[in-house]
Amino acid sequence: MVLQIYGLLPLATAAAVVLVGLADLFYRNDKAAAYAVGTLFAALSIEGIFFLEFAASPLRLGILYITPFTSFFMVLFGAALLMVTMLSSSHSDKFSRFALLSGFVSVGIILVISGTSLIELILALELISISTSFLILSGGKKRVEAATKFFILGGLSVSIFTFAMALLFQGNPSLSIAPMQPGLLTGIAVLVSILFAVALSFEASLFPFNLWVPDVYEGSSTDVTALLAGVNKKVAFVVIFEVFFVMLSAYRSEFSGIFALLSIITMFFGNIIALVQDNVKRMFAYSAISQAGYITIGLAVGTAFGLESSMFQIFAHTFMIIGAFAIVAMLESKNIKTYREYSGLFYRSKFAAISLSLIMLSMAGIPPLIGFDGKLFLFSSAVSSGMVYLAVIGIINSLISIYYYIRLMGFMFTEKEGRKLNASRTTIAVVIISLFAVVVLGIYPTPVLHYAALASSFL
Amino acid sequence: MQVIQALLILAFAAPAVGLMATLALGQRRSKGTGIASTAVSLVLSILILSSFLSSGKAATEGITYIPQLNIGFSLYAYPISVVLLLMSSIVFFAAAAGGNVKGIKYKGSVSLLLLFQVAATGLFLSGNLLMYFIFWDIGVIAAYFMISALGTGGRRRSGMKFLIYSFAASVLLLLGIIMLYYYSPAVSGLHSFSIPYLIANASSIPDGIQTAIFALLFVAFMIKMPVFPLHSWMADAYADAPTEGSMLVSGVLSKFGAYGMLLLFLMLPIAKNYSQYVFALAAVSTFYAVFVAMRQTDLKKVLAYTSMAEMGIILAGIASLDQIGISGAIFGMLAHGVTIALAFLVAGSVEMMFGERNLALLKGIGRSAQVPSYMFIIAILGITGMPLTAGFIADLLIFIGAFGAFGLYGLIPLAAIILMGSYLYFFVEKSFFSHGPSSPHEFSIGALQKFSYALLAGSVFIIGSLPFLILNAINLLKVL
Repeated sequence: MVLQIYGLLPLATAAAVVLVGLADLFYRNDKAAAYAVGTLFAALSIEGIFFLEFAASPLRLGILYITPFTSFFMVLFGAALLMVTMLSSSHSDKFSRFALLSGFVSVGIILVISGTSLIELILALELISISTSFLILSGGKKRVEAATKFFILGGLSVSIFTFAMALLFQGNPSLSIAPMQPGLLTGIAVLVSILFAVALSFEASLFPFNLWVPDVYEGSSTDVTALLAGVNKKVAFVVIFEVFFVMLSAYRSEFSGIFALLSIITMFFGNIIALVQDNVKRMFAYSAISQAGYITIGLAVGTAFGLESSMFQIFAHTFMIIGAFAIVAMLESKNIKTYREYSGLFYRSKFAAISLSLIMLSMAGIPPLIGFDGKLFLFSSAVSSGMVYLAVIGIINSLISIYYYIRLMGFMFTEKEGRKLNASRTTIAVVIISLFAVVVLGIYPTPVLHYAALASSFL
Repeated sequence: MQVIQALLILAFAAPAVGLMATLALGQRRSKGTGIASTAVSLVLSILILSSFLSSGKAATEGITYIPQLNIGFSLYAYPISVVLLLMSSIVFFAAAAGGNVKGIKYKGSVSLLLLFQVAATGLFLSGNLLMYFIFWDIGVIAAYFMISALGTGGRRRSGMKFLIYSFAASVLLLLGIIMLYYYSPAVSGLHSFSIPYLIANASSIPDGIQTAIFALLFVAFMIKMPVFPLHSWMADAYADAPTEGSMLVSGVLSKFGAYGMLLLFLMLPIAKNYSQYVFALAAVSTFYAVFVAMRQTDLKKVLAYTSMAEMGIILAGIASLDQIGISGAIFGMLAHGVTIALAFLVAGSVEMMFGERNLALLKGIGRSAQVPSYMFIIAILGITGMPLTAGFIADLLIFIGAFGAFGLYGLIPLAAIILMGSYLYFFVEKSFFSHGPSSPHEFSIGALQKFSYALLAGSVFIIGSLPFLILNAINLLKVL
């Protein structure tokens, strides 16, 4: 009984964020609201750690099914939302909107990561996607365009998802997320897989369904961009885990090729387009696309180790990209946007230049940072199951990506004097959390890998 | 825990502690910190060598920190690593004392030097290939910043070129070691990156896979050594790096590749099938480097290509796959490291004193810059392998090995050395000791630089005249 009350805690915490957001609409005390929302997200993360440590047995509570898989992503998304909240709290004029909408997003996330049926998943996804559309609308230069693109493509994605569900239902008269018997989907397994993959590729930003990403990332304010790259995209991967590796797990051989293809074209697309970017934010948008491609390598491999590596990389990239966008946001507010404007950054703000360099080196996969560990595990999983070509392509892409990261670093370390730039305290805090993950968990990745393994064993 | 294991841990920790101290202390104390830290490392590496010689067996010390994949951090003292550690600590000490004389960006330059030393110590002492790879990349990053932030001339472009080549090498290396890991036999379900384990067990990998791994790793190490035709990053990087950067990149970083090449040949039995082609490549690379060196006008570029020629000779020794040839290659790495560092230190001094590296414009500097000029003669003696210098023992052993393995063909690269030697003497005579008015100079060298010269030149002669100090250690390598 006590455990069941604990099991309701995550949803209650997420609901409390909504209440704080509502209260803030009336009382307009943004500072207090920011502290409350931040604390609640931190609590969400800590609850996840608690479940991982002490309650490893799964817990079923009506529409919630709490397993270590849920807890792993609770830790991750709790921390990610906390970081985004901190970034957002510096725009105090817009915080009340953020508090309410991020509350809805977090409720959606809890429902997705502990979902028991496809209906629940689709409702939760819609909740997240609509709240995010409004968040995009709340700031940024080209916000209407960005929000419209995001909304329309989100709608398209949901309709394809629904169509796939309908096809699935014909063979398997149950929509609960539980392993299906093999042989039920005779003839349509590949079609169903393709439709689900397409629907989820929109959100997970896999090529060719990611063309909206750079425009939306560039058009919205940078804290929302961090939310899109750090949270929304990763939620889509959680859904991929649940749909493909739980429900359709018997059809692994049918869909493995789809993910291999998606991963290869996504990596090449992201990296090659990122090469020619001039705007740093757009470069990170494309680099985030290529990172989604790396994550997909683990899905294509599909073994326990492959999934574990994907989860590790999801964890790693969330912290890296939010840290990167925190610095990009700080510089953007000083009107520093293009590669050229970044020149001499080291002499204007050592903090920004060194942190951003570490994060970019990590994204490029330089040891001993966390991005290297993720790539090491992913490429190892590919080699271990005989898909050496995926490792080769991944490695070629790492090499391409070095160029654009190092090019930016070259600008940052050019000697050029300029006015000193000061970072706000919240930015520094977010970047320090991110650097903790990048450096400390990069050198000692064992706990994350351990919990990722635990999580993937409950798929 | 035995003494040598404690020493191994200390040797790895020393540069790391030095690095943190440098970062914590101010700009003015960094030079002293750097010199003190590298001096401690040198003492420790001599102690490791002597305690290794007295115990006479390999020692390891390590922990496993990713048990799921059997990935650990381990330090491993065996003949190759002990000798290379000694070489690198000599070069680092000399670079810390003699480099960056003008005192530009002390803190940055000392921090990068110590970061590089962390990487080199970790790499040479590493007991597993994953750590080898990790330290390799850290070394590359440190060298990149040395070139592009502290260098001269077209440093940004040279640094970028260096980095792109280096990362091409490192991704090939990563793929190669992952394949080596998975295709080697597992013990109770766990594979291993451990170097001794792989040397003992890699022979059971199927031939096709072995060939693929060999190709990947061979290209990676070729880039790093460098060997023709993948050397085009080298001349620019060596020339545009600051003095200590040139010393370290040519003396230490090139050994990352040579050490890896040696491990590759010791590890994969398939290497035997390709050894004659590798030898031919080494010979071509040597001749190519010598001929290109003759066309250079920049002092540092001449030295860069002589360094490449020497690496070709070392590769020839490795390819001989013969006990004596391999010993020669290990000895050659030691000799080449200290000799080329001495030569680049001279280039740095000359550039500082005369503001010029162009050989056509440096006339009669032997009179106004006596110490560097005579030190340069010593370096050339070492490079060409005159008796009593370290290079002599290396060349002797390498060519005995090569003769044993390839017969008379094995002696072909010797012609390149003779050619290179005669050219170097010729150009020293023409530029350093030419008659006529001497170039004007602005600076003179200080006590620390003189000390650095003495250290390197002393090493060249001590190692060359008392080779058994090192050969006793190398002879313990009974893996063949």
